[in-house]
Amino acid sequence: MVRKSERFPGVEWVGETGAFIKIDGKKCTGCGNCLRVCLGRCFEVKNKLASIKNLDECMECAACWYVCADGAIDFAWPPGGTGYRSDWG
Amino acid sequence: MIQEYDVIVVGAGFAGPVAAKKCAEAGLKTLMLERSENPGEKVISGLTIPIYGFLFGPAFIRDGNPPIERPVDGIKNYVIYDIKAGDIDTVELRIPRPLSPIFAFGYNAYCKPFIAWEVDQAVAAGAELRTSTTAVDVIKEDGRIRGIVTDKGDQIRARLVINCEGSQGILAVRAGVREKYPPEAISLADTYDYECPREVIDRVFGYTLRFCWGFDEQMIAPPLGHGNGLMSWPYRNSIHWMQDQCLMLDGGQAPNLRKLFDEYHGNITTQLPWWRDEIAPSAKLRARMWEGFEIFVGLDDRLRNMPNYTDGMILVGDAAGLESTGLCDGVPAAWFSADIAADTAIEAIKANDTSAGFLKRYDRRIKAHPIIQWTITCRGRWDLRKAQESHDRKELRARIDHQFGPGLLTHLGTPLTKGILEALRKDPTVITKWVRMFLRYYYNWENEGSSRENLPGQEKKRGALGTTLLLSDALGKLLSPLTRAIAWLLEPLAGAINPLTRALHPLIEIILRASIKMEHVFSPLTKRMADSVKQADPSIFDASN
Repeated sequence: MVRKSERFPGVEWVGETGAFIKIDGKKCTGCGNCLRVCLGRCFEVKNKLASIKNLDECMECAACWYVCADGAIDFAWPPGGTGYRSDWG
Repeated sequence: MIQEYDVIVVGAGFAGPVAAKKCAEAGLKTLMLERSENPGEKVISGLTIPIYGFLFGPAFIRDGNPPIERPVDGIKNYVIYDIKAGDIDTVELRIPRPLSPIFAFGYNAYCKPFIAWEVDQAVAAGAELRTSTTAVDVIKEDGRIRGIVTDKGDQIRARLVINCEGSQGILAVRAGVREKYPPEAISLADTYDYECPREVIDRVFGYTLRFCWGFDEQMIAPPLGHGNGLMSWPYRNSIHWMQDQCLMLDGGQAPNLRKLFDEYHGNITTQLPWWRDEIAPSAKLRARMWEGFEIFVGLDDRLRNMPNYTDGMILVGDAAGLESTGLCDGVPAAWFSADIAADTAIEAIKANDTSAGFLKRYDRRIKAHPIIQWTITCRGRWDLRKAQESHDRKELRARIDHQFGPGLLTHLGTPLTKGILEALRKDPTVITKWVRMFLRYYYNWENEGSSRENLPGQEKKRGALGTTLLLSDALGKLLSPLTRAIAWLLEPLAGAINPLTRALHPLIEIILRASIKMEHVFSPLTKRMADSVKQADPSIFDASN
């Protein structure tokens, strides 16, 4: 399965990544840092709690993981052969 | 089935294949694990690899035919005081004609083909490659790392793991080797790839990179982190373009990058005169992607000194925080550290000791490497912020000159000289190898990549250039003892180069400016030199000659 995005030409997303980014609702304070740095628009914040909308346009940069001061975001590499790819990096 | 290797290399990016190739050549049973299906397709970068990477990096790259997109002769900086009023100054650092473009400042490349080429070399040397395989954890016994657990559930044992997973260091953090880097040390690079006809790129860029800097209100590049700017790289038939921004602001809040990047990209593509008038009419956006990189890790004592090794594991390249703070070039340090890691691995396995005590020599060598240490500790980009804050035109220009203009020589001079002298001491004939590399790369660029290797057998025509190269080989060999002695004698004096270039800086500026102005005088000679390389029999550039 190959997915493309109009907003990000030249990039493909392949396979099923599963939830390789997870948010611990008990630690999240809803600061929205993850939302602000994510160019893939993977996050939403409702009622002072961040959640993952989808990882369809995630480029595995881990910016969300870096900026989460509460340690609420767990970032792991997605399974081998899945996720984004590009010929133009 | 129990799988056992001498060395597992995690990650087949720029560094991994360098380490894997050397280990395999030394007879070590070596496995490379790569999480992407095809090596290089998850690596994102605007990419000029500066010349010191090729001069002092792995011999197989220097002596080979890696796929390059365009030689680079230098940097033209646009200092934008007022974009609407067209108040824009330039600061230029270029290798003058007729030396350039054959004798280049660096080479541009796409990551995927370059890395695929490196991986092929490692596999040909005997390293095993397993793609579509993510290393999810380490096997830890008695407090030391004994191998890797993959996403397929395999437990692969190894005497040593060389970790080249990239700047996030997910595995390294999980294994407890080092901490996660803080967001203020990380920059997110928003990268664009534009298709553009070669004749337009030749006319507008030539062989020169174009960087843009300005005061915050000019909206040239996201201003909220230290020294952020806009960089553009000419490739063969495309232009690579990158704006980057640190992930944390001084006030402790993350910048709204989604908004910021779109705003700034729109602003500069419609207002920067040379882009708007000369590039935009014929450029077509082909790709947009992004990646984080640990730009300022080296400037912080604590971060810089985080462990890069533990019992059974060595961290290499970005995973060890070796990104350049100045020119943002992570590849040379990745190559150097991969080379050093492989040397250390070979010694450790021979001594049957992969403990932290033995691997400490890796850290010592990294800290003694003149170019690595220079690249990770340059303050130039960070300090640009001061000029942006003070809103001082003179200061802004001076700081850009210092990091990306002729002022670069006042702090790169000593490490570069040390690198050259050390290389000469180790191999006094290396000069002819360097010259052949420049000529071969230029030939490959002019003749559409490295297709030369696929040409049918041709009759060798040595010509004047080939004869000159053979004579210089002979002379180099003859003078080897003398060259080595001179290099050995001069090495302690390399420290004087930076003060000397500082003292001569005004003169150097004048000479460089004059050489650019006088370029037309050298045009016929430059063309003759280029033609003689372009039309030569490529076998005369082979390293084995």
